[in-house]
This record gives sequence, structure tokens and C-alpha cells, in this order.
Amino acid sequence: MNAISTIVPNSEVALQVQGLTKSYGKVRALRGIDLEVKRGEIFGFLGPNGAGKTTTIRCLLDMIRPDGGSALLLGLDPQSNPVAVQARTGYLPGEMQFFDNLTAERQLHFFSDMRDGRAEWSFVRELAGRLDLDLKQPIKNLSKGNKQKVAVIQAFMHRPELLLLDEPTSGLDPLMQQEVLGLLREANAAGATIFFSSHIMSEVENVAGRVAIIRSGEIVEMAETGSLIRRTLNRITVRFKQPVKVAEFASLPGVEVISQSGGNSITLQVAGDMEMLVQKLGRLPVLDLETDRPSLEEVFLTYYKN
Amino acid sequence: MKRLWTTFHYTYAGLRGQILAWGLGLAIYGLLIVPMYDSLFAKQDTFQKMLASYPPEFLAFFGAETTSMLTPGGFLGMYAFSMMPVIIGIFAVMAGSSLIIGDEERGRLDLILAHPVGRTSFFFGRTLGILGATMSIMVLGWAGFSILLGGSSLGFNLAQMAVPFLPLLVQILLYVTLALMLSLLLPSRNLAAMIAGAVMVASYFISSMAFMDERVQAVSNLMPYHYFQTVLSFDELNLTWLAALLGISAVMTVFAWLRFLRRDIRLTGEGSWRMAFLFRRRKRV
Repeated sequence: MNAISTIVPNSEVALQVQGLTKSYGKVRALRGIDLEVKRGEIFGFLGPNGAGKTTTIRCLLDMIRPDGGSALLLGLDPQSNPVAVQARTGYLPGEMQFFDNLTAERQLHFFSDMRDGRAEWSFVRELAGRLDLDLKQPIKNLSKGNKQKVAVIQAFMHRPELLLLDEPTSGLDPLMQQEVLGLLREANAAGATIFFSSHIMSEVENVAGRVAIIRSGEIVEMAETGSLIRRTLNRITVRFKQPVKVAEFASLPGVEVISQSGGNSITLQVAGDMEMLVQKLGRLPVLDLETDRPSLEEVFLTYYKN
Repeated sequence: MKRLWTTFHYTYAGLRGQILAWGLGLAIYGLLIVPMYDSLFAKQDTFQKMLASYPPEFLAFFGAETTSMLTPGGFLGMYAFSMMPVIIGIFAVMAGSSLIIGDEERGRLDLILAHPVGRTSFFFGRTLGILGATMSIMVLGWAGFSILLGGSSLGFNLAQMAVPFLPLLVQILLYVTLALMLSLLLPSRNLAAMIAGAVMVASYFISSMAFMDERVQAVSNLMPYHYFQTVLSFDELNLTWLAALLGISAVMTVFAWLRFLRRDIRLTGEGSWRMAFLFRRRKRV
């Protein structure tokens, strides 16, 4: 038996997770996940394969039962009220399998029937048109990307309040990726809260207001996307009037030498406060200085060094 | 309730191919067997001599006796119904074992249960679906056996022809629920089907050969086939046996349901041998 704590529901929060743990035998998939996703926000969930993203999402939907901790979705406990939670959420799994002998349309009808026919079929056709999906095609004849489109439609078609998406653009070409991101924004603009995991940093960077980074079953960082990038790393390229010694910079705290061109140009990566570096540069013959904001991918990778 | 019936509808529709295949197969067999009795009856002397030359063990294996085989009930018992639990049992074992776990191993159950159907509604919708499919197979089979009854010297009416399908239905449901329960307890559907199939076949062989050895008789008393009747009169039906077998099926169904409520749903593929406790609770503080 495991003791669990209960969360106090908050009406402004769509998703509350506290101390979530899950083990598969000796493998500890989740080691105490704490998350809070506000209503109406787009929240990105980043992590490499095996970090615990899918396990977290499946715990939230009562597919698997956590060993400890608790969660509330839209104020409801997914273990006590799974049907109520599932009625108000849309789910897109990372790995999709369908009934191969059905057409895409028939498959979507099945999912709609499982929701008491809540999907407006005009909206389904609109989504299919935007994603360039032929609904009359049998599922078994569809490519991976087209199956992903069916998965996207089934998640969005009933206009849920909360969307849990596991790699929503997986297998899609760049045009369709943008279309799906557009759907995310539109759903969000209409009031939906979106929680999605992705490996594609650029789309998380462009769409998500806040992100959490998960590593080995633990949340290692959670912040607004912009501040995370600004706070964590800066890349500076400096050109000097004369050669300088690299060792002078490498010894500064939080400074990493990325590259050096000749003896006059050096590229540095700075984590955190830049004051000491600026003071150091002030004593050197600087010709030119250029700062560059790192991508979210670079931010993400810093959590996976060593 | 609505989603239970939605699940039932889709399950039954998904089994329509098997309903037609097994049901029509049974019906066609009936169309062939019923007229055959008249041919046999016309040559009964020759047939009697032939049967007398067979070892009793051989006849017992097919559920026959020399004296009763030429009676209408004995004839149908031997040629039609004695092996039906094993033959139709193939459907029971395969369909029962894949009823829930088939979708899980193919990676479909995840998304289905992400819809607001509830595990209980889903489970019983599926179970009612296969119950309906099994009954439909029996109805089709009965129809095939009944079509030519009027021109046959078997002398049964439609209602009498339905009687042997009742114990057959009960036997099939037993193997459906056994395979279903095993699929939710064991790591894979294949393993569940193998074990349920082995029980089915062993039950038939042991029960057929039980008269030869008292020790085998003792084991036979534990086998489902021992309680299978091929009677054609409702008065001869052992309702206690039927009720007991149905009760065992119900218990296995409930056991399977409880297990389904508590287990984690796999993403895809077969599971591990590590089995969670059936009744797993968490203490709230």
C-alpha cells in the first residue's frame, strides 16, 4: 500500500499533479511529478524517450494507476471519476492504432459514438479538409502521417476543454505540422487548455507559453518558455582587436568556450548572470560583440549533459 | 448504459464474420446430417454389424453405443453434437481470449478507454457482444438442423431440435469466459487461448475415455464435458448441471471484470509475468 495526499482543487487550474510516482518492477518511471497547468494555457512537456512523458499522461487518464501521488483534471480525480474526466478531455496517444478494416470516417464515427455522438460532423469534415485527409479511405491503406491526421481529428472533434497530446505532429509533413499547430492555437483561443509533449523544440517554443522538462521521471525545470530561454543561456560572440587567451574566460563561473576563430574571435556560452563576463570584457580590447538567444533545444540539451 | 450498448453494438458487429462462418458452417452440417439418418436407418442391419465389430472404446470416444446409435437421439448425439463443444469451442477460445486483450495487444485499447465509456461498461458491453454472437451461432445452427426436419424420419419438431443447443451454448459460454478470464490474468492472449484450448480438448478426451478407468472417472467428474448432454427432450435436460455451469461462467466473468478494473492498460504487445495483486488498494491520508 502507498499513502497518497489529496490536492485542493483550484478552479483556475486545469491540471494539478502532486507527487506522482509510478514504477514498473524495478524501473522507476515517475519519481514524484509536480505540475500545474492553468486553464487556458498551452503547456509544453519536454523530455527524451523514456523520460516519463507518456507515463505521466496515461496516469492522468486512468490508463495506468500511479503508485503514489495524486492528480486533478478540471477539478476531477481521474481515478474516482474517469468517465467525467474523459468526457471533457481529448487525447492523442503517441502511438496510434486503429481498426484497420474501417474507413477513416467509420473509425471517427466509432469514436464519436463512444462520446454519445458529441462530435459535429460538419466540424469533422472541416478538420479533414484542413488536414487534407480523405475520410473514405480504409485505415489500412493510410500512411503513418494520414493515420496521425485521423488521430488529431478524433482528439479535437468534440471540442474538449482539455487536450492531452502526446507528440501531436509526429509523422506529419511541415505543412501539416503548421496546420496542427494552428488547430492548437484556435482551440486555445476558444478556451481549451492544451498539454502536449514533443521532441520538436521549435514548435514548443512557438506555441507553448510554459514548458516543463522531465528527466528520468523527475521535473527538472518548469518556467515560461521565454524566460527559460532568457534566464538559462546566452551565447556571445566577441571579436577582439588583438589575440586573447581563452583560459581567461574558461575560468569564469558559468562561462563555456564554444569556439575560437584565430586568436581574435571567440564564442562563449553563459549560464546565468553575465556580470563577471561583462567586467572581464571591459578590461579587454573588444572590437565587436554579438549576443544570440539560444533555442529551446539548446536549453533542453543542457539538462541532459553529463 | 448508453455506452454499454454502444460497445455491445460495435462488438457484435465486429463478430459478424465469425457469426456467419461458424453459424452457417453449423447450419450446413445440419442440412447434411439430418437427411443422412434416413439412409442410415434403411441400412440398419448392416450398420449394426459394423458397429458390433468396433471396440467399445472407439465408440465411447465418439459418444456412441451400439444400441442407441440408430435411435434418432443417439444418431444426433454421435454424429452431430458429441464433438460440437470442441469444434465450436475453437471459436469460444479464440474470441474469448481476444475480447479485451486482443485490442490491448494491438495497441487500440488505450485510445478506446480514453473515451468516456468506463471500464465496467466497456467490459460488459464486450461480454454481452460475445454472448450475443454465441447465441446467434446457435440460432443459425438450429435453423440448419431444423430446415429438413419435416421430411426426415427423425421425428422431432422445431422445439425439440432446439433442446441440444442449450447445453451446447452453456459449454461454449464456459470456454468463452475461461479464455476471457485467463487473458486478463496471464501475460498474453496466445497463452490464455492455449490453456483454455488445452482444457477444452483434455475435457473431451478424459470424459470420453472415463468409463475405462475409475481413476479417469474421478478426473472426468471435474471436466466440463462430463456435464454435457445431447438429449432431445427438455424433460431429460439436467437443469442443475446447466445452472452450475452457467454459475461457474458467471463467477469467471466477475473475476475477469474485477481484474480488468484494477490492471494497468498496456500500450501494446504482450505483458510480463509479473502480476499485480487483484485487489490493490491505496491508503489516502
